[in-house]
Amino acid sequence: MKNLQQTVLFFLLSIFALAQNNITEQKSSVTIEVDGKEHIIKRVEGKEVYLTNEFSLTSRPSPPFYIQPFKVSKGVDTYGELEVINFLENKEGVFIDARLKSWFEKSNIAGSVNIPFKIFLSDNDKRDNILIKFGAKKKKGVWDFSKVKSILLYCNGAWCGQSPAAIKALIDIGFPEKKMKYYRGGIQSWQLVGFTVNVPKKEATK
Amino acid sequence: MKLILSIALLFSILSAGKYDKVKITEDMSYVFVYHKGHAIKIHRIQDIQNHLTGTYAKISYPCPGMCIQPISFNDKIETIGEVEVVKFIKNQVNNKKGVVIDARPKKLYNQGTIPSSINIPFSLSKNTKAMDNILTVLGVTNNSNGTLNIEKAIEIVVYCNGPWCSKSKQLITALLKKGYPADKIQYYRGGFQMWKSLGLTTVKTK
Repeated sequence: MKNLQQTVLFFLLSIFALAQNNITEQKSSVTIEVDGKEHIIKRVEGKEVYLTNEFSLTSRPSPPFYIQPFKVSKGVDTYGELEVINFLENKEGVFIDARLKSWFEKSNIAGSVNIPFKIFLSDNDKRDNILIKFGAKKKKGVWDFSKVKSILLYCNGAWCGQSPAAIKALIDIGFPEKKMKYYRGGIQSWQLVGFTVNVPKKEATK
Repeated sequence: MKLILSIALLFSILSAGKYDKVKITEDMSYVFVYHKGHAIKIHRIQDIQNHLTGTYAKISYPCPGMCIQPISFNDKIETIGEVEVVKFIKNQVNNKKGVVIDARPKKLYNQGTIPSSINIPFSLSKNTKAMDNILTVLGVTNNSNGTLNIEKAIEIVVYCNGPWCSKSKQLITALLKKGYPADKIQYYRGGFQMWKSLGLTTVKTK
């Protein structure tokens, strides 16, 4: 009898395990904490879920959209989803959504902060303040990036040139390539492989 | 009339791709390649309203089974994206220096594959005799003393269904075990799902 119970229990557990859309064999979901806020990263539940939103569009017009090369630059690592998750779990640095604010407000990847790519493209106070927050120093117009945090950038997808443009602009002013990472798949691949997106709650109007 | 037609034809050949609305990269709209004896134009779907539908728009993947794969397979094998795959077809495949390998089961290959791909289902990995034949096809020969001659092994790109598919890994592992040189293997992690998500050309086997 006990054996039968165990068999039934094992059977039920294995069905439960099979029905899971885990991230990897070891990880079902990941809880991360950014600025005191907890976020859960997981893949969508269920069996027949399809992507039907604007991220299922295949053909963005060129210009400005072209398929991006796998790497932005030799020293900048390209990340996939697991590497993004590790970066967040280990608090390795700042995860940047480089898209325009309107995109970020619709949906983003949990744990990211919005710094639109254009800020990085020119010499401006806003950019300088952000870089100083990252740990860079500017003395007499010369940047010192020796203590800067690592940053990981993404935008809309493999066809989006915004995060690559930001990375290239930062390379130009001496930001170390080793401290920059590029999640090329962006929010499109994030959803295509089944991850849920973070939809920011609109702040209640006073 | 004939003259007008032939001028029109000549003009359309000369300007092919020049006015494409959706390009691959800034300086590349298409690449021609042979697939089973037929010339195929690899380009992108030009309808900017086109959505990815069907199997590859699916985002609910059970794991164990379809778990997210790391960005790189090992540090000797380069991971590449769509731009590099297209360039590989243009430079290596068209000059008979390389071949693209679809590691998925034959049924999926027949339903649609990347033009010029040959099908080596991952399931053959465990079949020693089949692997020996595959190595011969890929240019590996036997020295008179019985050792393998890998000097003329051709360059290969291996892919499967998507970033959540481990079949490429299984096939690459088997090839490495057989002695195939790692520097001649590239891994297209995005696979068939990401290829389709960018509206790139696929071919069916009838």
